[in-house]
Amino acid sequence: MTEPLRILPQRLETDSESVEKDLFKLVLTVIELVRQLMEKQALRRVDEGDLTDDQVEGLGMGLMHLEQAMQELKDRYDLTTADLNIDLGPLGTLLSE
Amino acid sequence: MTEVETRSEPRGQISLVDLLDRLLGTGVVLAGDVVISLSGVDLVEVRLHALITTVRAEMRAEGTAR
Amino acid sequence: MGEQGHYLYAVTRGLEPSALSGASGLRGEPLRVLEHRGLAAVLSTVDLDEFGEEALHRHLEDLAWLEEVARAHDSVVQAVSAVGAAAPMRLATIFQSDDGVRARLDELHDALTAALDRVEGRREWSVKAFAPDRRVAAAEPASTDPGSGAAYLRRKKAQTMERQTAEEEAMSAADAVHHALAAQCVASRRLRPQDPRLTGHDGTMTLNGAYLVAEDEASSFTAAATRLAEEHPDARIEVHGPWPPYSFATLEQP
Repeated sequence: MTEPLRILPQRLETDSESVEKDLFKLVLTVIELVRQLMEKQALRRVDEGDLTDDQVEGLGMGLMHLEQAMQELKDRYDLTTADLNIDLGPLGTLLSE
Repeated sequence: MTEVETRSEPRGQISLVDLLDRLLGTGVVLAGDVVISLSGVDLVEVRLHALITTVRAEMRAEGTAR
Repeated sequence: MGEQGHYLYAVTRGLEPSALSGASGLRGEPLRVLEHRGLAAVLSTVDLDEFGEEALHRHLEDLAWLEEVARAHDSVVQAVSAVGAAAPMRLATIFQSDDGVRARLDELHDALTAALDRVEGRREWSVKAFAPDRRVAAAEPASTDPGSGAAYLRRKKAQTMERQTAEEEAMSAADAVHHALAAQCVASRRLRPQDPRLTGHDGTMTLNGAYLVAEDEASSFTAAATRLAEEHPDARIEVHGPWPPYSFATLEQP
C-alpha cells in the first residue's frame, strides 16, 4: 500500500426538497473557487508590475463587483463562505478563507 | 486560563484517526470528490480535485510564460 | 471456520506464559504466543474469508470494519505493551502458517530487537497544535468612486499578507513547541497533520508530534507540555498518552 487510505467520497445526499439548495451549494463553491483564483492571479500580475494604471483599476473594479455579486448569491441562499467549504480532503480547505 | 487536555489513557482511548494513522502504513485521508445522490441513488461524481489541478497547472504555466 | 490464517498483532520478548491471559484477539479468538530466537510473536487465528487478500481489499475501504479491527488490534497491543517492550505490527499482518511467522521473525530479527531495545520502559505521547481560528473580513460593498478598483486590490493584497503572516507565525509556534518537546524525550517524530474533517477540529493542525518518553519521566514531559501550552495559548495544544510506542517500534514492512 503506497497510497493513503481514501475514505469514500463525500456524498451530497439530497432529496427532492433540498436538492436545489445542495446543488446550488456545489455550484457556488466552484464559482467561489474560480473567483478566488482570479483574485490571486490578478494580485500576482499587479505585483509583476507590467500592467498600466488603467488595467489595474479595471481589474480591481471587476473583481470588486464579482465579490459583491458572490455575496448577494450567498445571501439569497442563506449560505456563508464556511457552508461552501465542501469537504475536499487532501486539498485542505478548498477555499483559502 | 489555558486548558491542556492531559489524559492518562491506559486502555483503548486513542482516537480512531490517530489509531488508523499508526496501524495503516500510510494513514487515512478523505477522498477529494463529491458524489451527488438523490433519494439514495448515486447519480453524478464530481471530480473537483481534477478540476482544481487543471486550473492551477494552467495558472502556473501562465505565470512563467510572461 | 473456513481456511484459517494467523493474525500477528505485535512482537515482544520474555513474555510470562500467563501475562496475556486476560486478553483475547479478533472475534474473541484466544491469543497464542510463538517464541522464536528470543522473540515472541503474539497471534490469533482468523478466518481467511474475512482476512484473505481479496476480502481484505474490500474490507479496508469499510470504515466500520476498520474501526472494529483497529480497536481489537490496539487492545492486544496495549495488553502486550503493559507487560514489556512491544513492536506493534501494521493492521492485517497475516500468515498462512507458523513457519511463515518464523520466517518473518528471522527476516526482521535484528530490526525487531533494535526496536524493542528502543522502546523498553518507554511510552508514546502525542502532542498536537493548531493554527488559530481566523475571522474572515466581511466583503465591503462595491464602490464606483474612481480609484476604488486599485484600492480594492490593495486591500486584498494586505489581507493576503496578513494571512501569510498568520500562517508563518502558527508554523513557527508549532516548530518551537516541537523542538522544546523533542529535547525532553528519547525520540520524536512529526507525523502528517490530520484533516480537520476527520478529526472534527477547527482550523489546520500545525503539529502532529509523537514523543517517546521514559515511563518515569512522563510527568515532567507533561509538565513541559503544559508550560508550552501556556506560552502559546493560540496553538490550542493537546496532549494524549501514554500509548504503546506505535510510532517508534512499528517496522515499515516490505
